[in-house]
This record gives sequence, C-alpha cells and structure tokens, in this order.
Amino acid sequence: MSGKSKAFTKEEELLLQDFSRNVSTKSSALFYGNAFIVSAIPIWLFWRIHLIDIYANLISFVLVTLASTYALALAYKNTKFVLKHKIAVKREDAVTKEMSRKLAEDKKMSKKEKDERILWKKNEVADYEATTFSIFYNNALFLALVIVSSFYILKTFTPAVNYIFSVGATSALLALLSTGSQ
Amino acid sequence: MNRFIIFSILIICGISEIFHETCQKPEVIASAYVTEDATILTNVAFTTQFVLKCSNGVKGITLYAEVDGKSLPAARLSSDNKYQVSWTEDVKKADYNIKLYDDERYAAIRKALRNGEDPNTVKPLVVVVLNNPGIYRGPWINSELLAVLLAALVSYSAFSSKFKLLA
Repeated sequence: MSGKSKAFTKEEELLLQDFSRNVSTKSSALFYGNAFIVSAIPIWLFWRIHLIDIYANLISFVLVTLASTYALALAYKNTKFVLKHKIAVKREDAVTKEMSRKLAEDKKMSKKEKDERILWKKNEVADYEATTFSIFYNNALFLALVIVSSFYILKTFTPAVNYIFSVGATSALLALLSTGSQ
Repeated sequence: MNRFIIFSILIICGISEIFHETCQKPEVIASAYVTEDATILTNVAFTTQFVLKCSNGVKGITLYAEVDGKSLPAARLSSDNKYQVSWTEDVKKADYNIKLYDDERYAAIRKALRNGEDPNTVKPLVVVVLNNPGIYRGPWINSELLAVLLAALVSYSAFSSKFKLLA
C-alpha cells in the first residue's frame, strides 16, 4: 500500500489486524464452539459403539474433550491464517469487479473510499471463506482419523485407553500439522 | 455232570451275550443343527441327534464319537437308541464325518493311539456325515469400514480443495 515508510494510518492498522494471526471475538467463539462440538462427538462413538462405561470414565471424557477443544481451535486458527492470504489473492479480481460495478453508480464517492470499500469487502470474503473452510477441513480430518485409529489402530486396547489416545493424539496431530506453512 | 454242562453253556452264552453284544448292520437316522449366524462369534456349535438301528435289535450300547481327531462321548438320550453328539469348532465351511465306535472298537483305537499306530485302521461302527453349509459372518462391508470409507472420501475432498486453494 501507499504508506510504506510512514507511520501506519488507521486504515492500515485495521488492515494489519485483518491479516494478523489474531482472530476476532466472534470468530474465536465460532472456533471454540465448533471445536467443542466436534471434540464431544467421539464420546457418543465410544459410549454406544465401543461400549465404554460412561460414568467410570467421566473425568477422562471431560479432560480429553477440553484438551481436544483447545487443540482443534488452535488448528482452526492456524489453518485459517494460512488460507486467508491465498484466498484473498484468489478472489481479488472477482470481488474488485463486483464491487466496482456496484460502486460505479455512486458518483459522489471518492476513489480512495471506493478502494477502501473494495479492500474491506475482499477482506471480509476471504475471512469468511477461510473460516468456514478451516472448520470443514479440520473437522473432516479429525473425525476420519478418530474413526481409523479407534477402529483399526488402537483396536486391541481397552475402550478407555483407546478413547484417550485416539482423540488426544488426533487433535494434537491436527494442531501440530496446522502450524506448518502449507 | 449234566447240570454242569448246562450251567457252563449258560455261562458261555451269558459271556458271549455280554461281550458280543455288537450292533449288526448298523443304520442311523440323523438330524443336525449348526450355528447359522456367526457375525459376532468365534466358534460354531454342532449338534447331531441320531437313532441307531441294529438288525439284531441291540439296545443301550455305549457309543463314542470321533470328529477330526477329537474324541467325544455320544450321550444316550433315551432307551430306544437315541444318541446325541455335540461340539464346538472354529468358524469354517466343511463336511464333518462323525465316526461312531462301540466299546470294543473304541478300546482298539485307544490301543492303536497308545502304541503309536494309525487309528484309522479301526473301522468305525457307522459314520454320520454332517454338512456345514457355511455360516453367515455378517455383511461383506461392516459398518466401521463403511464409516472409514465415507470419512476418507470427505477428507479427500477437503484435501483436494485445500490444495486447489493453496496452488
């Protein structure tokens, strides 16, 4: 953008915030809520299919679900960060085209404000797509890995051990993989 | 003297009655039950019931059965020569020959085994063939495999769209 050497303007601060690793409270709530639901789903699998004793393992259910919620939310956040830039670049042309057409009628608006609006829209589109895709991607991987590890890899263990390791290791693995840049 | 001879004949007849009470021309009428659904089983139960008919009308003899080298007692169910043999086996599809032996032949088999000889030289009294037509082991694709396949499909689409976005 324009102010490379100068101090950041307010818009640039906003822009930086949009492209930083930190997510907004709304986005964070969405991530944690989603991560909690997805982390709690395996309890049903172990309770009804693997016939685990739900009351005897209550503590491990709570602890593993909380740990996995945290790990998954971290994975969502990191995946979103990686994807957002790429998506912003990919959707740039389409968003610019559409916004330009929309704003063309408004003769009063200055060029700078139009650009700002386009940038803001681009950011919003990229943010939304990255958020939803990150949730989809991590959920799909998490559930697939939990199913594979609980039914095949950790089949010989008791259900309690199987639960702790399959859910714990899968969420830890996803959190670890999400820290990669690709 | 006369009395002694009659007594001896009676004794000999008695002994021969006891020792030679073998079943002549044995015939069996058998019915069987085999476990049909082994979805969650590791062993299959076989039960066969049969009525032994002898041309000389012998009743109530003790029978021993041998299936694939396992010897089993044949339980006598009633006085009219009704017997039952039952055992369990790993899940497989096969014909089973239930070889039945009476006391005398069973003793011969035991002797052959003791002396390290081939027990197959002893002819069984009668052989009952039990066919196990194959057991239902559940559907070809079980539910966890199906779940894994579906999850893999969804993961594949997630992967491919991620690579498309990152490309």
